[in-house]
Amino acid sequence: MTNMISDLDIPGNQSSPAIQSDWQAGRLAMQGDSYPENSYELFDQVIHWVRHFLSTEQRPLHLELALVYLNTSSVKAMMDIFDLLEEAFATGREVSVDWHYDARNERIAELADEFREDCSYPFAITPVKGEP
Amino acid sequence: MDLLSMRESYQHERIMLCFNGPISRSLIEEIGKALRNYLDTQQAAPSAAMDVFAVYIEMTQNIRHYARRQGYSDELAAATVAVARSDQGHYQVSAGNLVEHADGKRLVAAVDALALLDKSALKQAYKQQLRRPRDAEAPSGAGLGLLDMARKSSFPLQASLQTLPNHRSFFSLTATI
Repeated sequence: MTNMISDLDIPGNQSSPAIQSDWQAGRLAMQGDSYPENSYELFDQVIHWVRHFLSTEQRPLHLELALVYLNTSSVKAMMDIFDLLEEAFATGREVSVDWHYDARNERIAELADEFREDCSYPFAITPVKGEP
Repeated sequence: MDLLSMRESYQHERIMLCFNGPISRSLIEEIGKALRNYLDTQQAAPSAAMDVFAVYIEMTQNIRHYARRQGYSDELAAATVAVARSDQGHYQVSAGNLVEHADGKRLVAAVDALALLDKSALKQAYKQQLRRPRDAEAPSGAGLGLLDMARKSSFPLQASLQTLPNHRSFFSLTATI
């Protein structure tokens, strides 16, 4: 508990996803589009949170994603996050990802699937029925 | 200024949306939003709309990153961007900007080299580039942009370079989706 760092609660905007972390629950969530010019200005704090959680806690970590479009700079940052989970999983930690996407847009599923190819932990890609 | 002839030429080229001038971060977002809305009204398939938007973002952000690295003034950093619909129903995203002549030659060679790769080779090259350390390339990850555009296109990317005075050239790139 003493090593807990403050949770993230970043509101989203047109080019940045909304991001919430919950240290107690071992949960990190992101929703929306991500195409800032320099994604690391945004994602460095997320990478820091994930790294810190995985190194101080032994509890599971679950990512709940509803990301839509990612520019290549955001793809690179997300890959760094998935790699951290992969490292933790290799040492026996329980980690998982659930990526929800609008069933009408298969591009998001393809993007998520390319990330999943490099991950051996549970990684669900779940279509959600969009509004009619 | 003969706006009518400009308008007629855009219509002739089937240009849905175009921009010329210094491009800021917020302008990229606003034009992107207009582009998405337009594609939506045209009832483009969500996947095609996303590909067009993605290519537009990578092109314009590459131009911004390049101009910043070169320390270009607003005037030099101006971008010319057009999104058109071809007779065959393909979307064409084009963007042009000033570059140092040597950089332009390097870019054209890089685009021409990508034309030789099929989809699976492009994917492999993309994944390799993705795994390069952050510091080994431009801070923005710009190298990935071309590969990403090539993967989203139905035909090879087309690049051209027109020489201008002062060691500069106009680089233009077209992706057909």
